[in-house]
Amino acid sequence: MATINNHTNNRQAAAATSSKHSLPHPKPADTQSVLKRLQSELMDLMMSGESGISAFPVDDNIFSWRGTISGSKDTVFEGTEYKLSLSFPNDYPFKPPKVKFETGCFHPNVDVFGNICLDILQDKWSSAYDVRSVLISIQSLLGEPNTSSPLNTQAAALWSNQEEYRKMVEKLYKPIE
Amino acid sequence: MVYDSIANALIPSPASNPKDLAKKKRVNRTAKLKQSKLDVRREQWLSQVKNKGSKEENRGADRPKTPARDMHGSNEGESRPMVKLVINPGGGEENDGMMNHYSDWESPSNSPTSHTSSLASNRSVTNFTGGSSSGSSSSSSGSGSCGCYSGSMTEEDDGDDGCLDDWEAIADALAADEIKSETDHNINPESQVNDHVPQLEPVETVKDEGMNCHVQVNRRAWRPDDAFRPQGLPNLLKQNSFPMNSERNHGSGAWGFKTAGFSPIPMTCPICCEDLDLTDSSFLPCPCGYRLCLFCYKRILEDNGRCPGCRKQYEQCEQGIVTSKMARSYSMIPSR
Repeated sequence: MATINNHTNNRQAAAATSSKHSLPHPKPADTQSVLKRLQSELMDLMMSGESGISAFPVDDNIFSWRGTISGSKDTVFEGTEYKLSLSFPNDYPFKPPKVKFETGCFHPNVDVFGNICLDILQDKWSSAYDVRSVLISIQSLLGEPNTSSPLNTQAAALWSNQEEYRKMVEKLYKPIE
Repeated sequence: MVYDSIANALIPSPASNPKDLAKKKRVNRTAKLKQSKLDVRREQWLSQVKNKGSKEENRGADRPKTPARDMHGSNEGESRPMVKLVINPGGGEENDGMMNHYSDWESPSNSPTSHTSSLASNRSVTNFTGGSSSGSSSSSSGSGSCGCYSGSMTEEDDGDDGCLDDWEAIADALAADEIKSETDHNINPESQVNDHVPQLEPVETVKDEGMNCHVQVNRRAWRPDDAFRPQGLPNLLKQNSFPMNSERNHGSGAWGFKTAGFSPIPMTCPICCEDLDLTDSSFLPCPCGYRLCLFCYKRILEDNGRCPGCRKQYEQCEQGIVTSKMARSYSMIPSR
């Protein structure tokens, strides 16, 4: 996953440098439309009053959000709350946002750096998704991990024993400051 | 999306129905009461029609009872035999009870005809023909009053079977009346025929239209008409006001349907949140029904060409463009 991340980062950097030479897409107009889309999403998110998830831009930068999700009821994550960072590319929503756990999360599909392995954040991304659906998907991922392709093998191995897993979650959980 | 539009299109009718039903209950009583009264009056007319002769004038005089009171005063004073005066109060009281509420509305509409007829009766040499013509004209004004009556009734309620029965009853009575008055018209001088026929005919046709409207078109058809009436009354232009109102209703109905049909289409593109213009909102690129603006569609075609709503590739015919563009974009990636 880390290698993939590096790869994408490299590509981003390459794209940034190449954009200096030639502009394949009219970037300013794109940024404008991304801005509108993100503002609209923020408005929808605040109006919907969705319980268990929240998100808000960090430091007046509409391209970087801080989100929180709380563990669903009747899961080993019940009562815990996780902070996430969302950063939106300039071609959002045609490309997915980069979402990471900022709070450590002991989960089969989350690595120690907080990277999330979730198909809709990668190849199954659709521009019809938004922050709300992403956060809800991650929230449901907590309770229903995909243990067949884990990033955290220890968590995947422990998942079958829910009592032990719960203890591990409580032990490793560091509440949001 | 299609389901939404259907549901929305259907909404108005269920919404109006409970209201109608609720009103119907309240209305049925008054309608029946009125109908019974009308039946009594109709019987009276019919019996008087049968009796012919001097009684016929009574029939004419009976009809527009309250509205044309002044006219009958003058006519009665001039030409009516005593018999009529005796009979009148009996019918008058009955009609009074029924017509009182509407007398305000009817009097302006009826007075012109009654005045002309009274003038005609004054002008004409034979009192009898004059009287009969006044009878016929008052029968027209009677039908006019019928229009008023039904109109005011639909104002209170939304019109129902009871009202229809009333119409039929009146139509029957008027048909009987018409036969009579037509025979009278044959006797009448031409000028009077000219006076009365144009008034009689339009009102009749209007009444028929009204009946048809009532049966076929929605029941609220006359409510705006009632609101419109006070302006239309002085000219006795019901034949104008009715079609106008029915048009207005059709128009509003069409408008309501249109808005209901438009609402399910999103106002903004779900991808870029820009407003969808007319081209965009009529643009349906994927059978799944997911709509988006043309800019975002083009953008997606340049990217992976999958519908955001269902992730399927956009149509095969556009596949060529997609693949060529994708190939180009792929070729660009290594160059980056």
